[in-house]
Amino acid sequence: MDAEFLAQFALNALSLGSLYALMALGMAIVFGVLRLVNLAYGELLMVAGYTLFVLNDSPLPWLFVAGAAVLAASLASVLTERVAFRPVRVNSLNAMLITSFAVSTLLQNAALLLVSPRTRAVNVPGLLTQSLEIAGLRVSVANLITIGVSLSLLFGLNLLLRRTTLGLALRAAADDFPMTRMLGVRADRVIAAAFAISGVLAGVVGLFWIARVGSVVPTIGAGPLLIALIATVIGGMGGLAGAIAGGYVLGALTVGMQLLLPPGLIDYRDAFTFGIVILVLLVRPQGLIPGRQSARVG
Amino acid sequence: MASVRASITRHRALPVLLVLVVVIAVTTSVFGDRLLDRIVTVMFIDLILVLGFQVFSGNSGLLSFAQIGFMGIGAYTSAILTMTVEAKGFAIPDLYPFLVPIQIPFIAAVFVGAVVATLVAAAISFPIMRLSDAASVISTFALLVILHVVLAHWSALTNGPRVVFGLLPYTDLPTATLWAIVFVAAAWAFKHSSLGLKLRASRDSEFAAATIGLNVVRLRWTAFIVSAFICAFAGGLWAHFITSFSPQAFYLTRTFLILTMLIVGGPRTVSGAIAGTIIVTVAFETLRTAESTINLERLVPFQLVGLTEVILAIGLIVVLAVRPGGLIEEREILSGPGGPRAEPVEPPGLEPAGEAR
Amino acid sequence: MLSVTNLEARYGAILALRDISLTVEEGELVALVGPNGAGKTTTLAVVAGLHRPSRGTVLFEGKSLAGRAPEDVARLGISMVPENRGVFPTLTVAENLRLGTYLRRDGQVARDLEQLQERFPVLGERAGQAAGTLSGGEQQQLAIARALISRPRLLMLDEPSLGLAPTLVDRVFELVAELHREGVTILLVEQNVRRTLEVADRAYLLQTGRVEASGRPAELRELVDIESVYLGGARRPGAQASEPAVGSR
Repeated sequence: MDAEFLAQFALNALSLGSLYALMALGMAIVFGVLRLVNLAYGELLMVAGYTLFVLNDSPLPWLFVAGAAVLAASLASVLTERVAFRPVRVNSLNAMLITSFAVSTLLQNAALLLVSPRTRAVNVPGLLTQSLEIAGLRVSVANLITIGVSLSLLFGLNLLLRRTTLGLALRAAADDFPMTRMLGVRADRVIAAAFAISGVLAGVVGLFWIARVGSVVPTIGAGPLLIALIATVIGGMGGLAGAIAGGYVLGALTVGMQLLLPPGLIDYRDAFTFGIVILVLLVRPQGLIPGRQSARVG
Repeated sequence: MASVRASITRHRALPVLLVLVVVIAVTTSVFGDRLLDRIVTVMFIDLILVLGFQVFSGNSGLLSFAQIGFMGIGAYTSAILTMTVEAKGFAIPDLYPFLVPIQIPFIAAVFVGAVVATLVAAAISFPIMRLSDAASVISTFALLVILHVVLAHWSALTNGPRVVFGLLPYTDLPTATLWAIVFVAAAWAFKHSSLGLKLRASRDSEFAAATIGLNVVRLRWTAFIVSAFICAFAGGLWAHFITSFSPQAFYLTRTFLILTMLIVGGPRTVSGAIAGTIIVTVAFETLRTAESTINLERLVPFQLVGLTEVILAIGLIVVLAVRPGGLIEEREILSGPGGPRAEPVEPPGLEPAGEAR
Repeated sequence: MLSVTNLEARYGAILALRDISLTVEEGELVALVGPNGAGKTTTLAVVAGLHRPSRGTVLFEGKSLAGRAPEDVARLGISMVPENRGVFPTLTVAENLRLGTYLRRDGQVARDLEQLQERFPVLGERAGQAAGTLSGGEQQQLAIARALISRPRLLMLDEPSLGLAPTLVDRVFELVAELHREGVTILLVEQNVRRTLEVADRAYLLQTGRVEASGRPAELRELVDIESVYLGGARRPGAQASEPAVGSR
């Protein structure tokens, strides 16, 4: 086990872990405020992907196109909240959960209907496919940019949550939503903000995810959704710190499985990863960083 | 005497529901249209799936997405056990040698498939039931995905992502009708059994249930494996109706459809399961036919794909916003006003103590 | 100032409030007392906009509160300290207070904060601490301070002495009396009837969702054998004793 191997592993794990952490965070923000597991979350990624596809031949610089994709994801997120979740919100948590499943189906099939059931190629800037030499190591630029952007986003989000009034309201709502409203904070605004932030995170993850794959398909959101779900559960369903931790752990686990599993079993990598997660949950059902939602009867 | 009368009232619906199923079957048969025959056969199989969901979700109050994965296990297991050696050679060329010569009668195979799925469910679901509500729902979703991954890759059992074909069409309308009746009765029996009652108590107040000594984890786990059995059984039936399928059939699309049937009808009631299945089947077939007609006649300049699902999804959201408990929310049909949610009755001269604060 | 008329409220099929009517005039300290399950907290919840009544009206300074969201009720100047205190456990003490100032647009906030810190020194001492790590009594002080900093027209307190040690209970009632003297209009829900009647201007006695009796403390003590009401017994001394509720005697 030489230094180069370890370094590569660390880099890959960090890069994948960062993506997973952002994904889990996006889900956790909405969960924290509404106690809703948004099963349509993966589709926000899909929206970003199809925006990239639609703007494939645009003369604008890629950074603009990327920005548009992220914006589209955020808008889609806020829109689904306004149109689908808000009317159902008063009814029950289960109703919202199924609604999110319905929205997921709706968006996927809308993409099928409006674009195509087939995979569509997406232009990826050449920069992201290159690699550099740093201190004698082959390092992929994509990995570096992923880590850099993710950490910046996490930092920025932390500033938002700790230094702004909106952030204060979001954190308070996650603690005790009714009390927050009794202090005058408008529920609709806080919820819309949570969905908007969630959408931005999904959009950014979508950019990197699709850059890795080079194409988009209506079902592209399923994988990221699952990751966000698992990361949130092992993180402890409590708060944002847990989700981030869960994301990094899952990323490291996935990269580890990729390396350790014999070739015959590599296809089952995801099944093994989640199998391990289930084992962990057997021992520690409350997850890594338990929050108030993880209390268990029995 | 009053309690006997109450029992009769409570269970009045069951024979009515069973007769309804038979009436639908007989009418279809008499009508004599092959296509309608097939639609109703699938509808009854879907009904069994919905009942499988209902047994767990309706009584425990927890959503679960995993059941269709167990349907898949039931389908593949029963297929392996009924297909001839020759057929297996064509359809699942990499099948484990020890499984190749095994061939058992149809219903036995379906039964074995259901048992296998139940064992898998028993093992996997125990840690899941110990999690908090939100975490367990998420885990069932993950479970569906994992089951799908396994089915899609285990070529030595399932031929991987490719289609398995060559099953014999053992499932016909009478078969489907028979088992639909059996499982309607089973779901009813479960709901009104001691286990079902305790589970529903825990649904309505987990905390209170724990204080009277109910082991909520155990209750949920039991309901989950019963649910897995039912869905896997339906999978075996379905496999021998459709005679060829791939792992994709046991994933999100079918889950969405069955969940819609469950929710529209009302997850808490068996009558609701039947109502929802009928309504959504009618809607689905109508929309599908419209979609195909439009496509065939080229009424619009592009191919419509997915419109049916989009409309169904919108319909589901509307139902959730307007009547989230479903069509038949709480009381089974014909069970009279003395159902489980009766208004507090005021005995003469006494003020009842409410749960007021 | 606050006028509740013929309020009826349900939780599902269960009737929590049957026919509640009460008033609170500006500057008064009005108390709602009664046993568990009487409907006191539900009444506050309806006024605060947390629970929708099935019948009846709630008027505050002439405006109807019916169907208003909690955030709108807050904007009308009603602040509540709920039974569980309602502090945000993962936020610091200072952040909790900051949220109390959410609706304030004037420049007096800093001065008010100073005054509150004089009154509740613990707020200054533990400003940077997570509110969840405070003791019960400290959380109570924080919750009340947070309610006060919004300069409410009406302050509603739900069982502020609940779960506190006897010396702290004294402090709470002293504080309530002090605030009353300073002119704050207060609607106080309490189970500690004796102490409550010592400080209140008027009180309403609730039982199973109805107002059994009301009036000044002295009148109330005469009208009703309060203890037996708490134990589910006769409602009026000398009246025909009805079947006691389960658990009494």
